[in-house]
Amino acid sequence: MKSSVIGSRVVREDAWGKVFGQTKFPADVNLPGQIYAVVIRSPHPHAKVLGINSEKAMSLEGVVTVLTAKDVPNNSHGVLFRDQPVLAEYVRMVGDPVAVVGAETEEIARAAAKLVVVEYEVLPAVFDPEEAMTPAVLPLHPNLRPTNVLYHMPIRRGNMEEGWAKADIVIEKEYSTQHVDHAFLQPEAVLAYVDERGHMVVQTATQYAHYDRGEIAHALGLRFSQVQVKTLAVGGAFGGREDISLQIIAALMARYTLRPVKMENTREESFYSHSKRHPMKMYYKTGATKDGKLVALEAKIIGDAGAYASWSINVLRKSAVHASGPYVIPNVSIDSYAVFTNNPYAGAMRGFGAAQTVLAYESQMDLLARKIGISPLEIRLRNHFKVGSTTATGQVLTGSVPLDQCLAKIAPYLERGGDSQ
Amino acid sequence: MKYFQPHSVEDALEIAQTAEATFLAGGTDLVLHMRTGKVQPSGIIDLGKVSVLREIKITDGFLNIGSMATFADLGKSELVLRNAYALWQACQTMGSPQIRNQATLGGNLGNCSPAADGLPPLLALGAEVHLMSAEKEEIVPLATLLGRTPLLGQETLIRGFCIPLKELKSGFAKLGRRRALAIARLSVAVALEVNENKVENVRVALGAVGRRAFLSESLSQVLSGQELNQEWLEKGVLEVQRIVREALGTRASAPYKRVAVSGVFREALESIITEGGIQA
Amino acid sequence: MIEINLVVNEKPYTLNVEPSERLIDALRNRLGLLGTKEGCGEGECGACTVIMDGKTVNSCLVLAAQANGSVITTIEGVGNRRSPHPVQKAFVEVGAVQCGFCTPGMVLSAKNLLDRNLKPSETEIGIAMSGNLCRCTGYDKILRAVKIAAEEGAK
Repeated sequence: MKSSVIGSRVVREDAWGKVFGQTKFPADVNLPGQIYAVVIRSPHPHAKVLGINSEKAMSLEGVVTVLTAKDVPNNSHGVLFRDQPVLAEYVRMVGDPVAVVGAETEEIARAAAKLVVVEYEVLPAVFDPEEAMTPAVLPLHPNLRPTNVLYHMPIRRGNMEEGWAKADIVIEKEYSTQHVDHAFLQPEAVLAYVDERGHMVVQTATQYAHYDRGEIAHALGLRFSQVQVKTLAVGGAFGGREDISLQIIAALMARYTLRPVKMENTREESFYSHSKRHPMKMYYKTGATKDGKLVALEAKIIGDAGAYASWSINVLRKSAVHASGPYVIPNVSIDSYAVFTNNPYAGAMRGFGAAQTVLAYESQMDLLARKIGISPLEIRLRNHFKVGSTTATGQVLTGSVPLDQCLAKIAPYLERGGDSQ
Repeated sequence: MKYFQPHSVEDALEIAQTAEATFLAGGTDLVLHMRTGKVQPSGIIDLGKVSVLREIKITDGFLNIGSMATFADLGKSELVLRNAYALWQACQTMGSPQIRNQATLGGNLGNCSPAADGLPPLLALGAEVHLMSAEKEEIVPLATLLGRTPLLGQETLIRGFCIPLKELKSGFAKLGRRRALAIARLSVAVALEVNENKVENVRVALGAVGRRAFLSESLSQVLSGQELNQEWLEKGVLEVQRIVREALGTRASAPYKRVAVSGVFREALESIITEGGIQA
Repeated sequence: MIEINLVVNEKPYTLNVEPSERLIDALRNRLGLLGTKEGCGEGECGACTVIMDGKTVNSCLVLAAQANGSVITTIEGVGNRRSPHPVQKAFVEVGAVQCGFCTPGMVLSAKNLLDRNLKPSETEIGIAMSGNLCRCTGYDKILRAVKIAAEEGAK
């Protein structure tokens, strides 16, 4: 088969609409008679909602309704487990939605949101995953896991004792990374309405229209066939639009009011309402012979999943698999954990758990090289994967492994010692 | 909320006298603060149509800058470049092109954020502020004004700034997280006179290390009347570090800023000093 | 309500606006010019950039009333499919468009630069575009597109 596309430059079909400002993002679609909805979010990282008084908000002219947890038919959603409430009665992080106001204009909805009084019983919160792992800390999701350890992935290869015996040089260090927000340029927005067939139509920017559809149907108690999700121009996502944000809440409001419902997050609300990159604490112990051959690696990686599971299992699995980097190490012991805390929940973000471990394993390589007295390039040349190499998980690499070419390309840079020297 | 759009200073002052209203300069701070609810004015006096307030000119030994001159106006002005170099520098890096096109020097003072980019250069250059209300007119050194609380009465208009033409050498540098669109984490402006090889009347102003930008008395004492050389520079570095340490105390940013200030201080002096000594 | 007069994309309008209404709200909600995007609402991202009296501004930080008497260009006033502006053509051909949410603001900043400066240096291009953020990180292609547009325009 011959294709004229491969190897040639292609103009993307949506580019023209975007340069003329014609492309419709979710904030750009409206319907006659629509109302606006605004979410009330918890200021507490761990709390029970004791009561919600919406009397004052309801008395404001133009307010249509205020909905809370009791108005949600099936109050849960989540990509791996349905552990996240649509509207919370039990708060596990700052920013958990507890109520939603619908009003004739956005201004009224925002003003009314400030008038909704939520009474909380504030509970002690845990922010350090290592502390959260200890049996003394009560689990945040007892229905899901008996402790806050959501996931543990062990990888064992070779024999550690033999490995350390061969190691002339050992580097032992701790590394940590922080929360990162995707900050996709278009904040979440959604338009939801009940169409002439009585079906729920949700127009939004999502990475996952088919999954959103299932989640909306589940939460609202509808059949799949009664829900239609239309993906408009996405406006950046980078993993941050894999979990549901406003979609169910908007649909819920549309179902109750039978009016089209528009929601738009401010940038601040956007920061509160979607997942983050997992902060990771990484304990690394790496051993090499004096001629620069890696012989042993022991790593413990603790990922802060935050309040909900989201993709944490998959993310920390990927961290474990990538923990040894693109290097042959015959003796490996890796333990990777995802742990619940009362921090913002962490989920998918570019690299999906692979990005964090780079900091650890590449730093270890540089430190080993310095101690051995060889260049950062040399130590990588002596250890990198080639066709035929076996990874820490036992995979034999048979396909394309062009690391030697990559290293050759960056050799001049590495030999200069990078930017820092 | 009432909205006024006067065309003259007189009209603006009269409205301020009679209405409960806040002056609006460029709006890059005020519009945002109204949006977040931080400020809820009952009226606004938009100065955007008072064209006389945008003038930048030289009169009677002063560089006069109208309060509504934008950062872009100032950053493109030959008069500012030649007579107030530190201010000119600050105008190149403040905000972004869009912000510089809208934000004004008067608004920068009126909002008076600790990190305001315009204030350290004005302090170092010995600027005076021309204030007006329907009842009173006053020219007050900026350093004095910044000691007042509240900064300005509700009815007081910042008419403009007067920078004495003293052939000062001056420079400005700031530390931001990135080159554009970064709020200053720390800023330093320096102005001094050079007589032969001696520096006189050294004025160093710091931004983003206190509630408001301020002039450092001690740096002025330590650095004035001395020969301009490496040793002088190092003395300044030690003193500026001491000042930042004292000003920030145990704040989280203190350890970082204490170290960073030496680099910012050196950079601010770069436009004045070259390796071989004083720049021609 | 305040009555304001302004010219948007060469058409004169008289609008009644709220004192606290921002220019972006008036453009989007009253004139239906939805190409102007709100990314942050605080002048950080530049997605709401419009050209006002020959200068780029963040329309989220300008009150509609402040724009009284102004001449404004939004993305809808720049080029069309039959005759795209050189900046738009270059953005498409170089591949400087990804998610597209920053694109209208980017195009307006670039157009405004070329209106003022036919042969900008790379530094001048960098400064002119520094108030517009792209999170897909296509900056390299964006800067290249502006350079190509400048070269095209200078011909």
